[in-house]
Amino acid sequence: MNWKLGFTAAAALCALLPFVLPQYTMTIAVEALIFGLFAMSLDLMVGYCRLYSFGHAAAYGLGAYSCGMLLTHLDLPLPIGIVLAVAITAVIAIPIAWVCTRSTGVSFSMLTLAFAQLGYATLYRFKEFTGGSDGIDGIPRPAGPFGTTVLQGKLGYYYLVVFCLFGSYLLCRAIVRSPFGAVLAGIRENEAKTRALGYNTRAYKMTTVVLAYAFGGLAGALYAPFAGFASPELFFWLASGRVLIMVIVGGAGTLIGPIFGGAGFLFVEHQLSQLTDLWPLIFGTIFIGFVMFAPQGIWGLIVRLFEKPPAAQGALAGEEASRAAS
Amino acid sequence: MDFLGFAVAQCLNALSQAAVLFFISCGLTLIFGIMRIVNFAHGVIFMLGAYVGYTAIAVTGSFILSLVVAPIVVGIVGMAFERVFLRRLYERRDGGSYLMVTFGLAVVMSEAIRLIWGAQPLGAGIPAFLRGIVIVLDQPFPLYRVFLIALGIAAAIAVWQFLERTRAGLLIRAVSQNSEMVHALGVDVDMVRTAVFGIGCAMAALGGALAAPLVTAFLGMGTTVVIDAFVVVIIGGMGSFLGSIIGSILIAFVQVVGSYYFQELALAFMYLLMLVILVVRPGGLLGSEE
Repeated sequence: MNWKLGFTAAAALCALLPFVLPQYTMTIAVEALIFGLFAMSLDLMVGYCRLYSFGHAAAYGLGAYSCGMLLTHLDLPLPIGIVLAVAITAVIAIPIAWVCTRSTGVSFSMLTLAFAQLGYATLYRFKEFTGGSDGIDGIPRPAGPFGTTVLQGKLGYYYLVVFCLFGSYLLCRAIVRSPFGAVLAGIRENEAKTRALGYNTRAYKMTTVVLAYAFGGLAGALYAPFAGFASPELFFWLASGRVLIMVIVGGAGTLIGPIFGGAGFLFVEHQLSQLTDLWPLIFGTIFIGFVMFAPQGIWGLIVRLFEKPPAAQGALAGEEASRAAS
Repeated sequence: MDFLGFAVAQCLNALSQAAVLFFISCGLTLIFGIMRIVNFAHGVIFMLGAYVGYTAIAVTGSFILSLVVAPIVVGIVGMAFERVFLRRLYERRDGGSYLMVTFGLAVVMSEAIRLIWGAQPLGAGIPAFLRGIVIVLDQPFPLYRVFLIALGIAAAIAVWQFLERTRAGLLIRAVSQNSEMVHALGVDVDMVRTAVFGIGCAMAALGGALAAPLVTAFLGMGTTVVIDAFVVVIIGGMGSFLGSIIGSILIAFVQVVGSYYFQELALAFMYLLMLVILVVRPGGLLGSEE
C-alpha cells in the first residue's frame, strides 16, 4: 500500500501549498496542475495503447471553448459548466475516435492531427460564436449553486483544480488497473494476439480515445474560466506536440510521470523563460535526449531504479493481460 | 472572355502554389516510403532553405547560385541528422519515436534559426530578371510565378526520371518495397536511407529558397506549410511519388478557389477533404493500405 502513502502525502502537500507559496505563484501553480491533468489524459492513449495522438490539443481546446461559451452565454454555475463541457467534449470525441481508430500507427497520429487542425480551422469559420482569431475573452466565473462564491477566488479555484486532478488520477488509475486496462496492456504489447483472443480491440481503443478526450476536456474546461479566455492557439498542432513532449519526458504509461511532466514543464518554462530566451532550445534538446536514450521518461527511470527490474515488469504486464483474457 | 482570363490566372496561381507544395511534399513522401518516417521537421527544413538561400544571395549576390547552395547545405544537415539520430531508432520499429524525435528537431532548429538570423523577416526580393509580368489572356500575371511553375514541372520530371531510369532510383524503389531483401543482395541500405533523407531535405530547401522571395523568410513559415504538406502526402497516399504531385495540385486548387469563394472555409475544407478521402480510402488516393 505504498502508493496510498504517496497519494496522501501528495494530497496533503497540495492542500498546504497555498499557505506556503506567495500569492503570485498561485496562478502558475493552478496552470501547472491543469497541465498535469492534461498530460495525464494523453497518457491514457500514449502510454497504455501506444496511440500517439498528435492532436490532443483538440481535447483541451474543445473543453475550453465549450466551457467558455456555456459560461459566457448561459450564465450557468461554474461546476455545471465544467461538467457539461466535459460531456460535450466526450460526445464530440466519439465520431473522432471512430474515424481515427480505423487506422493504426502513423496514420492514427495524422488523423488526430487532422481533426485538431479541422477544429482550429472551424473556429475561424464560425466567428459569430467563437470570436475567430480573437477567441473568447472575458469568460466569467459565475457563482456556484446555492450562491457559493468560493470558486471565484484564486484559492477556491486552486482547490477545485486539486480536487479534479486527484479525482481524475484515482479514476484513471482504477481504469488502467481494471480488467479493461489489462486488455489495453494487451493491445499495447500485441494487438493481433489480443484480437485473436476474441477482444474487439477497436472498441477498446475507441473507448480509450473518448476517455482521454474527456479528461483532456476537463483540463481545458478548468483552464478557460481561470485564464478568462480561450484562443484558437489551444487547438494548434504545436500545442499537441508540446503535451506529447510532457508525457514522454515525464514517463508514458505511468500516469504520475505525465502529471509531473506537465506540471513541472509549465513551472520550469515559466521560471526559465524569465531568465533566458533559450528555453525552447533547451527543452527541445532535452526532449530529443529522452526519446533517444530514455523513452521510459523520468518517472520510468525512477520506477526502474527503485522497484522490480524491467524484465519482470514486462512479464507482469503480459501476465495481467493473459489473466484478463482467460 | 473576362471570366476565362480570370479563371486562367487563378489556375496559374494555384499551379505556382502547387509547385512550392510539391517541393516539400515530394521529399516527405519519399522519406516516408523508404523509412516509414513522418518527418515533422520538414517544415523547418523548408524554412532553413529559405534562410540559407537569403544568406547565399546576400553573400554572392546571385539568386541562381542560392538555389544551388541552399539544397546542398540543408541536404547535408538532413543527412547528418539521419546519421546521428534517426539511425539509432530503426531497430525500435516504433513510428512514434520518429514523430517525436523529428518534432524535437523542429523545435530545436527553429530556435537555432532565430538565434542565427534574428526574429525579423528577411526578404531578398524577387531577382531583377524575374520581376516582370506576363500577359495571359489580357490578365497580368507575375513572371516569378510562371518561373515557379516551370521549375516545379521540371523538378517533377527530373525526380520521376531519376526514380525510374537510374540505378540509384531503382535501389530507392527496391528499398521501399523490401529493404531486407535488398540488404541481403548486398546493398548498403543504410546508405540509401541517408541519401534519400538528404535528397528529401534538399528538395524542401529548394522549395524554401524559391518561396522566400515571394513571402520573405520569416520564423514560423514552416509551421503551417508542413501541415499542408502532410495533408498533400496523406491525400496522395503516403510514399507515393505520383500521389504527392496530384495531392499538391489538388490542395493548391482547394486553397486558391476556397480562399476566393469561401474565405474562412478554405482551411476547414482542406482538412475535410483529407478526412473524407481517408475514410473512403484509408491509404490515400494512390497509396497502399497498411
